[in-house]
Amino acid sequence: MVNKKTIFRETRAYPVVFMLLITIVFVGILAVLYQLTLHRVQTYRETQLKSMVLRTFDLPENDVEANFTKFISLREEADLTYYEATKDSVLLGFCFPISGSGLWSTIQALLAVTPDFKNIIDIEIVSQNETPGLGGRITESWFKAQFKGKLLVENHLIQQFTLIPENDQIKGFEINQITGATASSKAVVDMIYKNVLKYSKEMRAEL
Amino acid sequence: MTKKQIFMTSAFTENSIWRQILGICSALAVTNLMLNSLVMGLGVIFTLALAGFTISLLRNYIPKRIRMMVQTLIIASYVIIVDLVLKAYFPQISTALGPYVGLIITNCIIMGRAEAFAGKNPPLAAMIDGIGAGVGYTFVLLVISFVRELFGFGTLFGIPILGDWWTKWSIMVMAPSAFFMLAMLIWIVNTKSAKRG
Repeated sequence: MVNKKTIFRETRAYPVVFMLLITIVFVGILAVLYQLTLHRVQTYRETQLKSMVLRTFDLPENDVEANFTKFISLREEADLTYYEATKDSVLLGFCFPISGSGLWSTIQALLAVTPDFKNIIDIEIVSQNETPGLGGRITESWFKAQFKGKLLVENHLIQQFTLIPENDQIKGFEINQITGATASSKAVVDMIYKNVLKYSKEMRAEL
Repeated sequence: MTKKQIFMTSAFTENSIWRQILGICSALAVTNLMLNSLVMGLGVIFTLALAGFTISLLRNYIPKRIRMMVQTLIIASYVIIVDLVLKAYFPQISTALGPYVGLIITNCIIMGRAEAFAGKNPPLAAMIDGIGAGVGYTFVLLVISFVRELFGFGTLFGIPILGDWWTKWSIMVMAPSAFFMLAMLIWIVNTKSAKRG
């Protein structure tokens, strides 16, 4: 028996069998763990998204599920998906899931605009993988706050924001960019412009 | 070697970063914030300890010719476990670290310890060696990120230290400063150890 085992360990088949077995064992463990955590991860993501949608409209986030059902309805039309917020039967605005390519990967965000598409209500960054400390700062509140209530339209046309240095005073259609992260700042501004253009056209907004 | 000697050797005397110049890619990447460095360090310690233990357990069965494949598989599995646990139970930290957790797989220190130590020593010793190497790595990361975060942001672990009068050094946040800091650290350590003989 011992003899036979030593012989098998010297054959060409041994490394293949060994690798196969060890792969099955480890991948099996990972698959089980993934399945076990999947539900938790998904629930967390959904709640995060819902609470961000509420945040863009400045609606209370204390009871995410209840408030989301109360104020927000999901609209799915042809190739458009967006959220609509209503409070006391007044339409507050629309919230669009938008995305664009950042420096390293896709930046996903939620953009809420007024029903007439003339102003941004707020923006929230859902996911990004920009350089921490540089492009990653697009999630910082000072950067996002610049877009709050920002006018989008002039002469019945959607305007593209221009970027100016971080500490300068912004006016009109200007936005302070992040020092050392021009690409990430530009990505955010560009994706806002492209998506507002797209949604306003598709939803036939009168500008 | 006693267990304490194993630990001290792999953590300081033969420190992976300043003696072996391993694992410097991540040391350059995550050291602009102390919190990121700490979590990265903990992830590496965990992976080093368990990967070392497992590889050492299997050391007499792993065919020599495919040992690197096996090591990578084991290392990757532990890193994915870290990633899954962070995602499910510490989602905020997971978001903050982004892709860096996955990159622990490519950290040369782990492969280095597997090759140099775990493949030839008993499991417990391999585990201690792994923890030692991880602690040494984390120590260096924290030293570098201390300087970079302090000068770059005026904060430590996100807590404001220097106040508004401080002009932030943008270069400290960017990659070049990590090269300078790391080089200076290696220089200082090598000069000291040369003097000691």
